Amino acid sequence: MPKATGGIQVEGTVVECLRNANFRVELTSGHVVLAHISGKIRKNYIKILPFDRVLVELSPYDLTRGRILFRYRN
Amino acid sequence: MNTLVITRVAEQQWHALDDDLVVGRGDASSRPDGRRFLSIDAWHDSVFERLAGAMLAALPRPLYTVVDEADLDLTARWRQAGLTTRRREWEYVMASGVPPVPPPPGVTTLPAGAAELRPLRRLDRTVRAEIESSPGWDQMPAAVLSRPLDPARHVVAADSAGYVGLARLALLPRHTRIGLVAVRADRRRRGIARALLAEVRRATHERGVATVSAEVHEANTAAIALFEGAGARRQGSNLELVIR
Repeated sequence: MPKATGGIQVEGTVVECLRNANFRVELTSGHVVLAHISGKIRKNYIKILPFDRVLVELSPYDLTRGRILFRYRN
Repeated sequence: MNTLVITRVAEQQWHALDDDLVVGRGDASSRPDGRRFLSIDAWHDSVFERLAGAMLAALPRPLYTVVDEADLDLTARWRQAGLTTRRREWEYVMASGVPPVPPPPGVTTLPAGAAELRPLRRLDRTVRAEIESSPGWDQMPAAVLSRPLDPARHVVAADSAGYVGLARLALLPRHTRIGLVAVRADRRRRGIARALLAEVRRATHERGVATVSAEVHEANTAAIALFEGAGARRQGSNLELVIR
């Protein structure tokens, strides 16, 4: 069985929707990361907007990059 | 990535493992119309490529995916895997709460929740029969399909003969999404769709929500004219890709 996923999961708030399908997300720690949306979110046409609370998986290779896994209902 | 192993962990799920760490995930899911859509999350091209290869080899075709056209990297990865564009949808966004558009003489609009189920079902069957062959009818995500039919998600136009047009909605917390605007063929070109759209925007404003959005197939000139005529802005586009 795999021990863990490759990335750390943290909560954050979307602060900006960028033009190239990326989002600037402010994490609860105060750090801001550049995130794209997960395939499942895209497949289900879930729209991400500024001020949405989201769960982000940080890249294990670059902690300034992430992937939005889940959008919380505000 | 020398130790990368691709494992099918469930009927429709794959993991890419590197030294026991999950470094990529693949998922397949079926839409209500029976079509199977794929998604892959991977940080590296090589992991994406291996996951795509495993999924495409294991699943019966055709297989589909959806990408934001602005996401050039992801689009390129899927194209590299052999998928090609099947359809493009523009995303339109408009503000809620514009001045009302009066319906044409003899027509009234019923707000969401006010329509009766039986005549709504009859109208749904009629417009379905009329536009069955047009792109998109049966290929919408579950959020806007409304099966079974729910009057709370429909704004309806009615005249003396009964219900003649509908707007199907997904009432989301931060915006209203229009899944379908349809008017009976014998009642078109009278401004009924414009009146339905105005009612959607009015009701959206009333519930304290600022935006209304809709995805429109690039070949659907009537819908494009409707939304652009109402002042909607084109905000982006989604591509549906397929491999047969």
